[in-house]
Amino acid sequence: MKSQGDNVANSIVAMMLAWIIPGAGHIFLGRWVRGVVIFITIGATFWSGVALGGVLTVDHRNARWWFVAQMLTGVHGIVGFYNQKQVYQTMPAVPNDAELDAMLQEKGIALADNPTDSIARAYTGVAGMLNVLCIMDALLLGLMGVQGEARLGAKPGEDTEPLEPDDTAAQAPPIQLPAASDGAPPEGSS
Amino acid sequence: MIATLFYNPVSLPADALLWLLPPLCLAVAIVYKTIRTQNIRRLWLDTALLFLYMMGGLAALMVVGYMLVR
Repeated sequence: MKSQGDNVANSIVAMMLAWIIPGAGHIFLGRWVRGVVIFITIGATFWSGVALGGVLTVDHRNARWWFVAQMLTGVHGIVGFYNQKQVYQTMPAVPNDAELDAMLQEKGIALADNPTDSIARAYTGVAGMLNVLCIMDALLLGLMGVQGEARLGAKPGEDTEPLEPDDTAAQAPPIQLPAASDGAPPEGSS
Repeated sequence: MIATLFYNPVSLPADALLWLLPPLCLAVAIVYKTIRTQNIRRLWLDTALLFLYMMGGLAALMVVGYMLVR
């Protein structure tokens, strides 16, 4: 039985992992299938958005609130932020943002006035918000002391190790059949 | 090719943007049901049901919006 302190420590680790790598919090808590599904889905959603909107989909200058949501995808958002930072660093120094935006549009990089900008940022932002759900779930599961897939009907705090029906059959003691006798009737029979 | 894909925005016609909504709904349904479902073996069935609910709701909204505009 884990102590309350262990649960708090586990939940914090799970929460941090879930933020840094979507799905890692669930994997840390022994929920492998859920963790992998979350990792693939959030990654695919985020990078689909970046594919639609280009490198400036993640843009802390022009879309600050979307940027906050994008950073909630952890490593995906950080890579996206790094890429857009590289773009800005390669641009020559200009006196104002309007000129910079005009240069980016000339190069075909800027998202401004592109019809895909809203849907691209929605994809990446929604990926971040979905990861918030996963982070909160990992935190709560950690606090409840859940490890592995919970048994159906199990109360919080009960043993929640994976229990597959096939495993149950495998773990059950073998049925003791009466020893074959030489035609003698079993005990208790007349 | 891949570097360009993640660098430059994709030019899509305005009427094609609507078709990008179902994949987003599917992603929401998958992640939500991955968290909420009790029995992991029912994950894909629950996800499909939620996705159909979402699509049905959006279709109903579309019909209502169309009726209002007309």
